[in-house]
Amino acid sequence: MISKYGDDASFDAKLVDRFIRRDVTAFEQLYDRHSRIVYSLVVRILQQAPTAEEVVQDVFLHLWRNAGQYQSDRGPFVPWLLTLARNRALDHLRLKSERQRRREDQTEDIPAIAQAPEYEKALDLQRRAERVRSLMATLSAQQKKAIEMAYFEGLSHSEIANALQEPLGTVKSWIRNGLLRLKEGFQTAS
Amino acid sequence: MSEQDRFRELIEAYALGALDASEQAALEAHLAEGCPGCAKGLEEARYLVSQLAYLAPPAEPSEMLKARLLREVRADLGPAKITEMKASTGTIPLWLWAGVAAMLLLSVYSTWDARKMQREVQDVNARAAAELKERKKLEQELSVAKHEARILTDPASKKIEIMPNDKEMPKLEAMWHPELGIYITGQKMPMPKGNKVLQLWLIPKTPGAKPMPSHTFWPDANGKIAEMVANPPEVMAQTKALAITEEPPGGSPQPSSTPLWVGGVS
Repeated sequence: MISKYGDDASFDAKLVDRFIRRDVTAFEQLYDRHSRIVYSLVVRILQQAPTAEEVVQDVFLHLWRNAGQYQSDRGPFVPWLLTLARNRALDHLRLKSERQRRREDQTEDIPAIAQAPEYEKALDLQRRAERVRSLMATLSAQQKKAIEMAYFEGLSHSEIANALQEPLGTVKSWIRNGLLRLKEGFQTAS
Repeated sequence: MSEQDRFRELIEAYALGALDASEQAALEAHLAEGCPGCAKGLEEARYLVSQLAYLAPPAEPSEMLKARLLREVRADLGPAKITEMKASTGTIPLWLWAGVAAMLLLSVYSTWDARKMQREVQDVNARAAAELKERKKLEQELSVAKHEARILTDPASKKIEIMPNDKEMPKLEAMWHPELGIYITGQKMPMPKGNKVLQLWLIPKTPGAKPMPSHTFWPDANGKIAEMVANPPEVMAQTKALAITEEPPGGSPQPSSTPLWVGGVS
């Protein structure tokens, strides 16, 4: 899982700049650098490899055909790409639900994402995964469970409370406190 | 707590997509008013949430996916776009292009041809490897399909209706061949909640004997189940019923919940 290029955001920015100008080689390099994390995420959400490949193809084709949508001044490329991939996979997962339709509306216009903190820049894929997992391990089992249900299954507070048979307020606290703790962990790691 | 603080507390859950409709609408209205603190907090929260992707177990897309994608991308470029790209070079004087071309030819021609050949060989090898991999995959799929077809059509197979406890849920059907295994099918199945999986159990006829664990599986994105159990853990003659429960990822050695579907074998 180690990217041979590392996770250099400025290198990505140069590749993005080239592929916006229809440079297939740059697009292929971006695919080589990031297809594994995108595919891992989509497979985790959909739990089906063939469907996941369809969605990943759809994500990268969307990227190619709508290259101008990504604006580097609104945040780094990889989080933007992961947001696009997650939205597409969740859309696929819940095609007929109202929540899904709302998300579809957002898919074509991925919002601004903060610039990666300085310490982020040198982390390769494997180290990044290890760090996120180790930070998640510091959360309580309930916090971890609730956050994963929201992120990978696209469930709302109410849906999670219902699935876990826990009070709504408790689930909200788990998610908020869990995410704040993760944020602190990222900042401490810097 | 001020209204600002109340909205600020919602930012992380909003970035995660976990807010319920009313809270989401209220926060979006607040953001639309241009609150700079919340906007900045949201950008940071979105970055934080995007990092959760790295919790996904590592998985590798097939070589064929890349081949398909690049084929589409190159097809998109097409002759028209290539002509357009060539036309855009017209703003640079022709004599300059000629000079640059001559210099390039002089300096790199000796190595260019060899590198081109090398790239072409690599490209052909990569495509051949990808095609071979895909062919093996198709052969495997064909073999499985033939196996399933034999189970479905062989008179020796026994049909078992696996009925849900909840009448709102769909029923499943299993065909059990004494030698070829069990093939389970179903439609309109809901995805198990909470990251759980479905697990098949064989309930032995022997009184007091524990259920025998078998495959874990999920419905696909369309709610379809087509699960092949080539080597059931017990023979048909010794099995009283098939049962299906929801279990944690990876399955369980013994059922951890009440069966949601049960079908009598004999």
